Amino acid sequence: MNVSPTEAEEALAAIQTMAQKTRHSIASGSAYISLIITGIVWLIGFTATQFLTAPLIVWIWIVTSIVGSAIATIIGIRAGKRVRIASSAVTGKRIVTFWVLLFLFASAIVAVAHPTDGKQITLLIILLAMIGQMGMGLLLSFSATWWTVPVAAVALIGYFLAPDWFYLWMGVLVGGTMIILGLYIRVRWGKSWLS
Amino acid sequence: MAELNEIIHQPVRLRIMATLVTLEPNDEVDFIYLRDLLDVTDGNLGAHLRKLEESGYIAVNKTFVERKPRTYVSATEAGRKVFKEHVAALEAILKSK
Repeated sequence: MNVSPTEAEEALAAIQTMAQKTRHSIASGSAYISLIITGIVWLIGFTATQFLTAPLIVWIWIVTSIVGSAIATIIGIRAGKRVRIASSAVTGKRIVTFWVLLFLFASAIVAVAHPTDGKQITLLIILLAMIGQMGMGLLLSFSATWWTVPVAAVALIGYFLAPDWFYLWMGVLVGGTMIILGLYIRVRWGKSWLS
Repeated sequence: MAELNEIIHQPVRLRIMATLVTLEPNDEVDFIYLRDLLDVTDGNLGAHLRKLEESGYIAVNKTFVERKPRTYVSATEAGRKVFKEHVAALEAILKSK
């Protein structure tokens, strides 16, 4: 079999492209779902927090969170059927252990820092959640960890530069950023998951 | 010296193997997932998968998930070995340029 250097180069490039596409597709399969749904929940919840009063806000958060979690679970189960990971039981245990430990450490941090208002608690939770998402990405060797940086950056900018409109900022800009990033990942790499 | 493999070198089959080898050993992908990822038709993918399966480079697992038939595909140990050799042979051609 004769293969010219140009053909060899093209074949190697095709292999590299396909390997990268596969890794991105697997990583984005779960990333884009959680991004879009969390973005929508935050958009509704934080915008309501800015303009409405306490009892109603709590109900809006509860309903949107439950509906969002249910949709994410259904889509996640569907996506999981596309690629069957042989070591998924071990990975599942690692994921649960990671989030339980992070929750315990986060509780300790909040107890020590003792934030006095809702904005501080909100930002602390968001930053810890972004650390968790990044940790998950590294734990599972996923490549889709980069999105946590712009989300955290937009949240921090809102906290320091627009304290009076912080919740609206969180809803529209941070929630909106998550939806846009999720859609971008979906269009760019996630085509195969829901077809 | 590593040898080129005529079966694997065909462009669609090369991309199929690149995808399957990227997964961990024993991980498998659904036929529809693979079809969309490669952007090929059902018939085209089916024909190439048959060729690879006959050569022993991939394993095809037909099963039912929630009463719906599903076909899962994975690279065999032999497939991974041959693919690795094919890549090494391609790299050797480039180096000798």
